[in-house]
Order: sequence, then C-alpha cells, then structure tokens
Amino acid sequence: MLLEVDNLHAHYGRLTALRGVSLTVAEGEIASIVGPNGAGKSTTLLSISSVLTPTTGTITFAGKTINGLSPEAVAALGVSQVPEGRHIFATLSVEENLLVGAAIRKDTAAITKDRERVFELFPILAERRKQSAGKLSGGEQQMLAIGRALMTNPRFMTIDEPSLGLAPRIVDRVYDVLLELRASRGLTLLIVEQSSERALRSADKIYVLRNGEIQLSGAASDLRDGEAVHAAYFGFSEGQEGKVDF
Amino acid sequence: MAYGFQVLIDALSLGSFYALAALGIGLLFGVLRLINFAHGDFITIGAYALIVPSAATQATLLIGGFHPLFLIPSIVGIVIVVALISEFAVFRPLRNASPATLMIGSFALGYIMQNLVIMIFGGRPKAVGLWSDLNLGVQIIEGVQVPQLQLIIISVTLALMVLLVVFLKRTKYGVHMRAAAEDFRMARMLGVQANRVIMLAVAISGMLASAVSLLFVVQTGILDFRMGVPLMLFAFIATVIGGMGSLVGAVVGGFTVGAVSILLQTFLPSELRVFRDVFVFAFVILVLVLRPQGLVVSRSAKERV
Repeated sequence: MLLEVDNLHAHYGRLTALRGVSLTVAEGEIASIVGPNGAGKSTTLLSISSVLTPTTGTITFAGKTINGLSPEAVAALGVSQVPEGRHIFATLSVEENLLVGAAIRKDTAAITKDRERVFELFPILAERRKQSAGKLSGGEQQMLAIGRALMTNPRFMTIDEPSLGLAPRIVDRVYDVLLELRASRGLTLLIVEQSSERALRSADKIYVLRNGEIQLSGAASDLRDGEAVHAAYFGFSEGQEGKVDF
Repeated sequence: MAYGFQVLIDALSLGSFYALAALGIGLLFGVLRLINFAHGDFITIGAYALIVPSAATQATLLIGGFHPLFLIPSIVGIVIVVALISEFAVFRPLRNASPATLMIGSFALGYIMQNLVIMIFGGRPKAVGLWSDLNLGVQIIEGVQVPQLQLIIISVTLALMVLLVVFLKRTKYGVHMRAAAEDFRMARMLGVQANRVIMLAVAISGMLASAVSLLFVVQTGILDFRMGVPLMLFAFIATVIGGMGSLVGAVVGGFTVGAVSILLQTFLPSELRVFRDVFVFAFVILVLVLRPQGLVVSRSAKERV
C-alpha cells in the first residue's frame, strides 16, 4: 500500500473530528472519500499532509511513518495536496504560483519542463501566466491549484472537493485531467467529494465518512448502484425507507 | 521655492527612516504575524555596536573607527546576528502562540535588550562622531543648501527598497517569502521550508534595522538606550496607516508620517510646535477613522472566496 491511515483520531479543542479512521490507497489507485459536511473529510486530508496533528493513529506513506513530520517534509516525500478552497496565492502571478509548487526541487530544467506540461494540460494558464492568480475565475484557480500541486512532482495527490463551486463542464474537465494523470504518469489519487455520484464514476475505491467514522468502504464497482452508499452517507439503517436524490 | 525644496528634502529623509523601519516590521509581520516591538532595539544595538563596550561616559569608537568598507558590513552583520538570536530564543519557541502572545514576547525582548545596553554601556546618552562631515551642506540647486547626509539617507533608502523589490519579485526565495506571507500553511504544504523563510525575513529585517542605526547615528550623533523606541513607534504607526501586511503600505505610511511631521514642524505656530506629535497622532487617528483598512489594502489580508 502506498498510503495507510490507521485508526486516526483527531480533535479541534473539545470537538472530535475523527474517531478511528482507517483507509488504504494502493499505488496507481484512485480512492475517494465521500461524506456530508463536517464528516471529517478535510481533517483526514490535512492530517495526511501533516498540517494537523492527529491525537492518535498512524499515517504511513511508502512504508514510512509520516505523522509528526513537518508539512514540508511530507511534501518532499511526494505527497501533494489541493486543499479545499484551493488556497491560490492571489497576489502572485500564475507562473509564480507554479514556482512555489517546485519549492522542494532543485533541477531547473525538469522544473521548466513540468511547468510546460502544466501549461499543456491547462492552456488557459499559459495565456494568463503573468497575471496575478487572484484575477482568475474559480475554474481557472482550480486548474492552477492542481497544476501547482503537480509541480511538486508528487507520487500521491489528495484533492479536497475539486468540484465545489464549479460549472459541471469545468468539473468534467478537471476529472478528465485527473484520470489522464493517473494513466500517463501513474499518479495515485485520494479525492474528497460531497457528491458520491461523481466519486462512484471515477474512483476505484470508495470510503463513506460520516461523523468522523468510516461507515462503508469497498470497490467502486461493487457499490455502483449507490443504495448502500446512500444509506451509509445519511446513516439510514438496513431496510429503512429513505429515498433521497442527490 | 528654495524653502519648499528644503522642506521636501526634510520630509523625504525623515520619511526614509520611518519607511525603512516600517519595512523591517512589515516583513516580519508578513511571515510571522508578529508585530516586532523589539525592532527599535535592533536599531539601538546597531548604533551601540559602533563603540567600545564600557560604561565610560565618553564613547570611544571601536568598529565606528574602522574603514566604512569594514564598518558597514560589521554593523549589518551584528544586527542580523542579534535578530537571528531573537528568532531562535524568543520567536521560534512562540511559533504556535497567538499573535498577542508573540507581540508581548517581542516587548519583553525589547526591554531585555534595552537593559542589556544599560548594563554594558550605562544609561546615560553618549555623543559619537561618526562621519560627521556628512552633515555639511551641499548646494544642489541655486540657493538651496541641504546636508549631504539627507541626500544619502534618501538614496540609501531608495536603493534598499529597490533591492528588496528585486529580491521579492525576481528570486526564488523572494517568491517563497511572498507566498508564505500570503498563506503560510499552503506554502508549507507545497514544500516551502517554514524556518528557512522566517530566518531569511528576520535577517533582512535586521539588515534594514542596521541601515537605520548607521544613518540615524550619523544624523543625531547621540547614542541612547531608548533611541530606537520612537523610531519603532512611528514606524509601527506607519505600517498601521499604510495597511498592515502590505510592504507598499509600509513605505507609503512611512513617508506619509515623515511628511506630516515635517509639515507640522514647518507650519505650526511656534508655541504649538512642541506639541507636534499630538497633531501627528491626531492625523493618524483621522486616517484610521476614514480608512480603517489602511491607505494600501493588502490583497492577502482581504477575505478570499
């Protein structure tokens, strides 16, 4: 397993955010965590990036325990994150944002090559390379956030709600790119989404997270009809009537 | 005309001091969210470093007697080292503390430094003659004599600002620093080394403080353990009215406070002139009432969607 999260507990003050989350992502796999607002999805991702310190539990990446490391050390191991809200550096230009993404790397030739690849992936960014990132539209900012995360040359990338606030057409484009990245360079992905429908379509493996606990997990192919996912998502018990469209 | 020119030069040179000090404060605020009240004491230490450490009433130049090519790097180096020691001993242990705790920590640090100066050098002000020839006037245009030093202060300030801009815009570490100032957590998630960026900002802040040390001592010719305090205070006000978190704002604020002080000094009736600072602060309050966000709104301080 490339990533193993084992029995993760996390608190914000007295508020419990995670109660024993365990999950695994294999090399080259696309895993997805779905769940309602406040389920602990972002907390899980921020713990993986070592921005938050979990109360207990271990996170292992490529055989190495990474919780307790600094966020920059985790990034240096090849873990990259596109956080919720994208967190673009608004006062920096598009190019400078990408340059920050290459902070851990020394090889300037490879950095320039990767930047050109990002521009090929998202031509609109090439057009706006000198513009300050704060002036980009929401979709363009999402592309920049993904491009910037790619500039770290990651083995593993986590993405927090890539479709939030974006037009469906843009969301399709974002997912196309993510699938392409997996195909072309074997990038392993952990994608957090609120909508399970999108996750079921693109991921290999699904985790349903609610109230800080994994309610359901399994291969996406086994969960394709969505009934079990719906039930886990909303917390209906077996056999209970609950028809909700989402 | 000549008189007006003189006032302008006065305003620019005083504004230069405030702008340089405000930049030093603004840089640290950017990456640490720390309002460093010890910044003025960095300036003081840079000035005292010129003389032989002793409590004697007469100051004897030590480093201050060296050739400028050796003197300037020595003073710059000493202040940078003091700033870095502050980072390791005070700011780093308080890294996850609230901004208020950090600020109080910097106050404490400032008092410790002032008292160290008293212990080593004594509490009495001392006269030092450093490059006093620079205070001689030079004629720049017909009928206008200004001290050479004022022109040097203005040029040094401009040069340092240009250097800082080049560093922040054109170098890798400058871009990292701007990114960290805007969103530290995100910068770290991308692999930007937090401690390295902070140490660099602290060192640059110390370098800017040492420039003020030297220029200020040449101008006033006096060492006093509290000499940095009013500079820090006005520079802090400059960063606030300029817009906290914006370096452009720090510079604009610095020159604004300098200009307002000189204009009041020039045009207030003489019986009110002793109360000049009252009017300066009244102006500051007015600015804050009319533009609470500061003259230059830092984009990074704004809420983003």
